Amino acid sequence: MSLFGTTSKFGSNGSSVGTFGSAAADHHNPMKDIEVTSSPDDSIGCLSFSPASLPGNFLVAGSWANDVRCWEVQDNGQTVPKAQHIHAGPVLGVCWSDDGSKVFTASCDKTAKMWDLNSNLAIQIAQHDAPIKTVHWIKASNYRCVMTGSWDRTLKFWDTRSSNPVMALQLPERCYCADVVYPMAVVATARRGLIVYQLENQPSEVRRVESSLKFQNRCVAIFKDKHHKPNGFALGSIEGKIAFHYLNVPNSVKDSFTFKCHRSNRANSSGSQDIYAVNGMAFHPIHGTLATVGSDGRFNFWDKDGRAKLKTSEPLDQPISACCFNHNGNIFAYASSYDWSKGHEFYNPKRKNYIFLRNAAEELKPRNGK
Amino acid sequence: MGRKKKKQLKPWCWYCNRDFDDEKILIQHQKAKHFKCHICHKKLYTGPGLAIHCMQVHKETIDAVPNAIPGRTDIELEIYGMEGIPEKDMDERRRLLEQKTQESQKKKQQDDSDEYDDDESAASTSFQPQPVQPQQGYIPPMAQPGLPPVPGAPGMPPGIPPLMPGVPPLMPGMPPVMPGMPPGMMPMGGMMPPGPGIPPLMPGMPPGMPPPVPRPGIPPMTQAQAVSAPGILNRPPAPTATVPAPQPPVTKPLFPSAGQAQAAVPGPVGTDFKPLNNTPATTTEPPKPTFPAYTQSTASTTSTTNSTAAKPAASITSKPATLTTTSATSKLIHPDEDISLEERRAQLPKYQRNLPRPGQAPIGNPPVGPIGGMMPPQPGIPQQQGMRPPMPPHGQYGGHHQGMPGFLPGAMPPYGQGPPMVPPYQGGPPRPPMGMRPPVMSQGGRY
Repeated sequence: MSLFGTTSKFGSNGSSVGTFGSAAADHHNPMKDIEVTSSPDDSIGCLSFSPASLPGNFLVAGSWANDVRCWEVQDNGQTVPKAQHIHAGPVLGVCWSDDGSKVFTASCDKTAKMWDLNSNLAIQIAQHDAPIKTVHWIKASNYRCVMTGSWDRTLKFWDTRSSNPVMALQLPERCYCADVVYPMAVVATARRGLIVYQLENQPSEVRRVESSLKFQNRCVAIFKDKHHKPNGFALGSIEGKIAFHYLNVPNSVKDSFTFKCHRSNRANSSGSQDIYAVNGMAFHPIHGTLATVGSDGRFNFWDKDGRAKLKTSEPLDQPISACCFNHNGNIFAYASSYDWSKGHEFYNPKRKNYIFLRNAAEELKPRNGK
Repeated sequence: MGRKKKKQLKPWCWYCNRDFDDEKILIQHQKAKHFKCHICHKKLYTGPGLAIHCMQVHKETIDAVPNAIPGRTDIELEIYGMEGIPEKDMDERRRLLEQKTQESQKKKQQDDSDEYDDDESAASTSFQPQPVQPQQGYIPPMAQPGLPPVPGAPGMPPGIPPLMPGVPPLMPGMPPVMPGMPPGMMPMGGMMPPGPGIPPLMPGMPPGMPPPVPRPGIPPMTQAQAVSAPGILNRPPAPTATVPAPQPPVTKPLFPSAGQAQAAVPGPVGTDFKPLNNTPATTTEPPKPTFPAYTQSTASTTSTTNSTAAKPAASITSKPATLTTTSATSKLIHPDEDISLEERRAQLPKYQRNLPRPGQAPIGNPPVGPIGGMMPPQPGIPQQQGMRPPMPPHGQYGGHHQGMPGFLPGAMPPYGQGPPMVPPYQGGPPRPPMGMRPPVMSQGGRY
């Protein structure tokens, strides 16, 4: 089945999908998406596709099995494992350099590594006092560096050639998630902290934003305006809610809004509703629409400008722990693996972890062509 | 819905000026947004009812209707759905709607053909009531003198309704047509610029409408048809032009099903969209530092948008695996609030096996398996310098494993002191087998 350019068959909302479940006698892939081969043996913590500068599509995934795996995703949907490298601890963040030659990986072993895919060598380029949760590559007009956010409450910037960070900024709390779209960077920390940075010349803090969500921050993604300049970010929390914060616009408070998601629908008035965490989110690089994945095992597509939900998937039998789009938005990858949302009691190490690839060219078009 | 004469106005909420399709929905909205007790969330039926409830049950006075626009917050006024709205406000509303429709109509009618002007304004407004423009309100057809000709148009009236519903579907196709439409609409017959555009409409055109072309040959008829035709054709542009208006109602149903499921929030979009300026007002009560605010487990995580009074949050305390912020309506599937899922998981010994302790060998070298390998054989390059100091104090996360060769190729040399320096570090080769190894191995073996 081809991933690119063809209209997806899985389109409609849960149409005949339900009946398919029986094929595998389970709901590990109710959306009938392409399964990546040789998926990691433990939960997948992060996914990232190669940038446009690399021909073809390469996916890297970091997992709790301490490894980072790289696959080539071919046009016909086949995935070919290419390489992997291993950390000493679970890998929590991955990111590509802008030229597609290196992959940066951040791990619970408190280091971040730069993995050169051509030589298949990985060297350490960062060090923190606690697990590093996020790693991002920054390409500015006058500098290039790697930004790492850690549970040690610091945000450090590394020139990969030196063992000392070129800059270290203090965070109010542990870094839980971050996103970079030059020249803006947003870091979300524990205790609902939200800090916005600007990266021109050198990274500096711009302001702290009051989160409109009342629960722990879980994932953040910057969105762009129609001129492709970052002008705000979306924030997901553990309470099944996403908030959109607009920055740099006059009515930023008024234009910001939240909506609820990843919640179970119990019978309307009776019974309780289960509220799930939003584990990951990603903006479609072309349409600017948003995909979110949650502990409820579903992914949703949203149009923030039209304030509408475009699609909800059928629930997978495991939470979806990470997601990302490829550089042109044709492929949406999401990982199905346990995210610890129900504690260790529900962890089954024997359960297979999956990464699915879905054709995203059509489903993420905004409503009314906004 | 939009039959003519619906009390001459679609149901709208006096408190916040919003329009609704149905009075039932309006009432639900009022109960949820304006007549809902902020303390216990009980929904009352009227403003005074709410005031009385708060006084009797909670001993609290309330002096303004929640979520009402300024000027419309009177709690004494007994309004239920559309009943009880003061006459002057009704009039004002009607006038407002008329103005709006006139404006939008006028805009569309900037055309270059004068012949249609009068008829159009008449005809178009007469068609206003059509469902396509729910927001426009109703202008009694009687008021439009231009109408009479319409019935005259053969087959027109019956033809009209079918067109209406058909219009929205056309809309997507409209855009290409649209630009040419408005000017072209009017002159239906006179100009054919919208020629290519017209065909799509044609099918929708009431049977009575002969194709525009033959118009010239039928002057009297033309007139009548011209009247209605543009009127009909107006429909499409009108809706598209005001597409933003109908948007919200259209998107409402699309909105997260969560919205429907929530017991506490039957209302439409508003709840979910709750603009930030609303919530912050309440969220600022417990400023960030009050993490303790989170300890209150109660309630309504679902209705958090409305009632921040109950700082939802999970009790950080106890509550074994899952968080129970149950308000009997919701439950957060997440363990303690204080730390993230990853932090929790990382604490498990299983995931700390490889981290620690001195003597860690370069990871991954060994077995790793087919692909793999990586770890650069750069031996003896523990990176120290900057890294070192922080090392020692590592509580839970185990020691550093610096086994990883340090930094970039090229710059290597400086660490001449490699091995001897740091007991914990070993260069690649030596690797005194520490207790660590085995686990590492096995780890690798996994692959």
